[in-house]
Amino acid sequence: MLPCTGRIDESLLLTAFENGADGVMVVGCLEGDCHYVSGNIRAKARVKRVYGILDRIKIGPDRIRMYNLSAGEGSKFAAYANEFVEKVRELGPSPINLVRAGQARAVSQKEAT
Amino acid sequence: MTGILQTQSGNGEHPTAAVLVIGGGISGMQSALDLANAGMKVYLVESSPAIGGKMAQLDKTFPTNDCSMCIVSPKLVEVGRHRNIKLFTHSEVKSLTGDAGRFTATLVRHARYVDVGACTGCGLCEIVCPVTQISHFPAPPAEGEKKTRARAKEKRIIRGPGLPQPTRSQKWNFSVDNSLCGMCGGCFKACLHGAVSWEKKQVAVIDQEKCTGCGACFVACPEKFSAIAIGQAADLEKSVGAAVHARSQLLKKEFKGTGQRDCIRCGLCVITCDKVMNISALKMVEEGIEAGVDICQVCGACVSVCPVNFLAIDQVTNKVPRPLLNSFNEGLNGRKPVNIFYPQAVPRVPVIDEESCVRLNSGACGTCASICGVGAIHYDHREEETEIAIGSVIFSPGIEVFDARIRGEFGYGLYKNVVTSIEFERLLSASGPTSGTVARPGDAKHPKKIAWIQCVGSRDHSCDRDYCSSVCCMYATKEAFIAREHDSSIEPTIFYIDMRSFGKNFDDYVTRAKDHKVRFVRAMVSRIFEDPISGDLELRYVDGSGARKTEMFDMVVLSVGIQVPKASKELAGKLDIDLDRYGFVVTDCYRPLATSRPGIFVSGAVKGPKDIPETVCEASAAAEAASASLAEARGSLITAEVLPPERVIDPEEGLRIGVFICHCGTNIASVVDVEAVTEYAKTLPGVVYAEHPLYTCSQDSQERMREIIKDNRLNRVVTSACSPTTHEPLFMSTLQQAGLNKYFFDMANIRDQCSWVHPDDPVLATEKAKRLTRMAVANATAGQPLAEQEFTVDARLLVVGGGVAGMTAALEAARQGFGVFLVEREGQLGGQLLQLQRSSDGRKFADFLGGLKEKVLNNELIKVFTSSEVVEQSGFVGSFETEIVTPSGGTRTLKHGAILVATGAEEHRPEIHGLGTLNTVMTQTDFEAALENATSKDWQHLRVVMLQCAGSRDVDHLPYCSRVCCNHAVKNARRLKSMHPEARIDVLYRDMRCYGLAELDYSRARREGINFVRYDPEENPLQITAEEAGIEITVVDPSVRLPVRFHPDLLVLSTGMKPRDAEELASMLRVPRNSNGFFIEAHAKLRPVDLPSEGLFMAGTAHGPKSSTESITQAQAAVARAATLLSRDSMKMSAIVSVVDPTHCAVCLTCVRACPYGVPFINDQHSAEINPALCQGCGICVAECPAKTIHLGRYGDKNIRAKIEAYSAS
Repeated sequence: MLPCTGRIDESLLLTAFENGADGVMVVGCLEGDCHYVSGNIRAKARVKRVYGILDRIKIGPDRIRMYNLSAGEGSKFAAYANEFVEKVRELGPSPINLVRAGQARAVSQKEAT
Repeated sequence: MTGILQTQSGNGEHPTAAVLVIGGGISGMQSALDLANAGMKVYLVESSPAIGGKMAQLDKTFPTNDCSMCIVSPKLVEVGRHRNIKLFTHSEVKSLTGDAGRFTATLVRHARYVDVGACTGCGLCEIVCPVTQISHFPAPPAEGEKKTRARAKEKRIIRGPGLPQPTRSQKWNFSVDNSLCGMCGGCFKACLHGAVSWEKKQVAVIDQEKCTGCGACFVACPEKFSAIAIGQAADLEKSVGAAVHARSQLLKKEFKGTGQRDCIRCGLCVITCDKVMNISALKMVEEGIEAGVDICQVCGACVSVCPVNFLAIDQVTNKVPRPLLNSFNEGLNGRKPVNIFYPQAVPRVPVIDEESCVRLNSGACGTCASICGVGAIHYDHREEETEIAIGSVIFSPGIEVFDARIRGEFGYGLYKNVVTSIEFERLLSASGPTSGTVARPGDAKHPKKIAWIQCVGSRDHSCDRDYCSSVCCMYATKEAFIAREHDSSIEPTIFYIDMRSFGKNFDDYVTRAKDHKVRFVRAMVSRIFEDPISGDLELRYVDGSGARKTEMFDMVVLSVGIQVPKASKELAGKLDIDLDRYGFVVTDCYRPLATSRPGIFVSGAVKGPKDIPETVCEASAAAEAASASLAEARGSLITAEVLPPERVIDPEEGLRIGVFICHCGTNIASVVDVEAVTEYAKTLPGVVYAEHPLYTCSQDSQERMREIIKDNRLNRVVTSACSPTTHEPLFMSTLQQAGLNKYFFDMANIRDQCSWVHPDDPVLATEKAKRLTRMAVANATAGQPLAEQEFTVDARLLVVGGGVAGMTAALEAARQGFGVFLVEREGQLGGQLLQLQRSSDGRKFADFLGGLKEKVLNNELIKVFTSSEVVEQSGFVGSFETEIVTPSGGTRTLKHGAILVATGAEEHRPEIHGLGTLNTVMTQTDFEAALENATSKDWQHLRVVMLQCAGSRDVDHLPYCSRVCCNHAVKNARRLKSMHPEARIDVLYRDMRCYGLAELDYSRARREGINFVRYDPEENPLQITAEEAGIEITVVDPSVRLPVRFHPDLLVLSTGMKPRDAEELASMLRVPRNSNGFFIEAHAKLRPVDLPSEGLFMAGTAHGPKSSTESITQAQAAVARAATLLSRDSMKMSAIVSVVDPTHCAVCLTCVRACPYGVPFINDQHSAEINPALCQGCGICVAECPAKTIHLGRYGDKNIRAKIEAYSAS
């Protein structure tokens, strides 16, 4: 929970992937309805930049997405969450997690032999 | 019982610095907050079980489409927690004695049957209560007679499609207690499964192999023996009702979606009827259930405990069931006798309904008390009387909607798919009965074509509602708009007379609605007929061309007007204040908040229909009016919180984290394994203490938490419970009371985010709760003690602009005891009102202005600067510095704590239709001045045409509606007519926007023979030639559908209002104005007189076009808002502010550019600096700073990283 999506930056979003997230949802106020005037617009730009970075490092841009909701739209939030989880399920585990799992396997195999 | 709450009703010298606010809607809440924040004690009395009023029922609000509940709920919480507001909900004012400054009121608190102090609002009582109907309770036994149960004479067997299929699932074990068995054989006869063996004079024996656990034996065993014991039944130790509920819930889960329609012979209905309700109307038989339909009390308990929907209420009785309806949802769904008014209610404490609660009526049941974990339910509550001493009263009881049944031609109450607008709000609401799905009440079908019919119970002489309700045009537009947002295939049509979108940005909203395919038809619907098979509705109306039309719709919404409830009229009688014939409170246009009785003030729609921002504005104004005469005693009855000194945490001291995992009754614990989460929490680094209270937020738990913090020397606290939005302030204050900095705290929401959203997956929900707890612990570990900075406040107010708003504000602020600087650009005070002659009731403005000016000039607290202008402004809330240039050319620096902008507006004078060149063409203001001298014969037979919207609502001139022109035209036309009845007046208009009670003057004008002709710039344009030789105007008169021609002697243009030039001032104050030059308020709905920067307020026409009365109201409102700051010696600022660490600041100006509030600046140390008094705490600069050298309180990178890392750690 943050005061505003304008508080997050690219490095924090990437920290989430580094720490094993397969996908990251950023949920802010409706555009034009930001509690802090324009924080969500800045967040949108930052999320876009992270798209680019994820694309370049082959994690894939689809693993991050920004949604805009008002506080009264609980059911919509649930629908978005389900939709995004479905999408990430299709994509499967993030390459970071795959590599880590692979290394762990390799290590354990090594230990076994 | 009478308790004296306040005995010191003044010592004869000072007035009582306390105010009674009647009504807990948005009006009463705003008044209460403004008063309490300015040092007045407040008693807020609300008749319903919770505060919130009508606004809490609305879905969205116009013209911003803000979610109503989202914006009102912080206010609810603030009122509920305010230490100087004493809430009396479910209460009423019984009497009021005394005089202004020293009243005594008697309040009656109705029996709630639930202890507000003890209840935690978990809602379990409502869940377990099996009653859904208003019962026909059995008559109590006559005196001296023994209470006996009635025996059924009329029996009916309820059958399913097949025979009962007995289930053994979640079975209870029944056994016979040999010592109690009366050997009567009742159980043997009752058992349908041959599981009981009995012989005469022998005790009965139950064969557990054959027993299905239906409990027929248990019910059959006579009460005098009570020999059948139940084993393995969860919650039986609480009560039979609680045990029935527990088993019913489990069976419901099991049979969910199985399509089971036969009786499963669980026996719960029969046990409930016999053992819980003491009725015994039901019996299990081979074919199904036998109901004694004549003795059934129709409480609905059997139906609600049935796990498979086998029973229906009308099957079990021969009486007509009376379902208990949810009044908050306008009766669109049911409720229980014990009921929390609405989910966000404050106080979130149920009330037990005396009419339908079984326990209160027959003495049976009592299930809710047995299940309440904190013992908050008391059936022996009685109504209580309290006497309070107060100095003033604010009467703001609000309104109700018109009873649409009175307009029988629309079939409301008969046709199910005809609903009222407030019902439609509930249908749109995400927390409403349909969870925000637009569905027809008749058949739950999704309607496509929906019609709104305007003016139902408004502008209607036939049902004595002659006034306009002011809000319906806009709310109907909003509902149509939002309905299409829910389902874009909906085709809305609004049938209306005049589109009265007269408020700020309202016309733009209507235009947007038209662009979103909302169809507007100017026609009155004469009748509705229902197709009895499809439930569709046929509307009949006459269109603009005079053709009779019929059109089919799936659903009709009646835009019902607003009216004063009978109870409010009666209360006004008790308070001895004057009402008009409709029940609206009578006020004077120069003293808009004062009632006929000194010391009693009024606010909100009870004084005339109005929308939310106008109500909020009036509420603040009433707070100001009510407190001005009490100002000398300000602060004498309020209490400040005393906190122990904060313990300084030694950096060497290791982490000592305490974790509290809340059960929330069963709200969390029924899904999440709280014990497992607690055990898990104990394994987390730094955690030295963990426990799982039943209700962490209850009073005793909080006291305990305080002790635990002290005893264990905790230096961090984490709770895993419900929503931080509602409960974090409570837990934080407990930390403070235990001497710990309140930011050594974090909270995980394992109720909303775990148990509520994953009820079907307890294992994963528990895992998620562990993870959220782990993240909260990590965040608390990273927590830093933060200090709330304190600033001293300069108790003076700067008012810019000396018109009616500015002068009123100055005078009122002085009455409140604050020093005032009043700066006026012109040479004399008075503003636009100098140009106008008479008020709506015919009094001369000059007299009023003269008096006002004299008072302002003679008040020693007010320093007036005429012919002076603001040239520079600096500082922040509480300590501003403003430089002004005085007529001598010199500058003066004024120091003050708040600013009030009242720069006003002036009449627009466009060069159209010969205005400015012809003597025969003038503006309404010119005409009003001319009327003062219109005694000559020339005026007797004068022909006058008034042209409305001349240069208003026109993209080439003023694109907006100026709100006042229609009323202005009616006022002037009626005045001419009263002076010279032979004069002919034609008013050419687009929509007559005589909103609220002004409609009465409009209809009087029509009756007096003033002619009104509608034109439309596109569909029915005017042909105007205005020359020296004469004026000719041609237009098609829609009422006769023929062209008519006017040759007036005078053409009077209603040109509208435009703001005075305030561009430089706005940029100096760094506050925004809209494209028309009016200042933009901090929030269109709830902060109508606040400017977006702290400490800045506005009043009058600088905000938007409005009448002089409305300007006076706003001025008083702005003073009330300013008083919440100026009345304090010092102010505490939020600790969550951005702080720049200068060591790494590269002075790149990124933060300066990024801040939406323009706060960061470069100081003389060559570093960016952020004034904590101005920072809003959004953290945008923190994210933007390339050097990462800005930090935001508890939302630092360190905190967020800690949470992210804890997310993935295991």
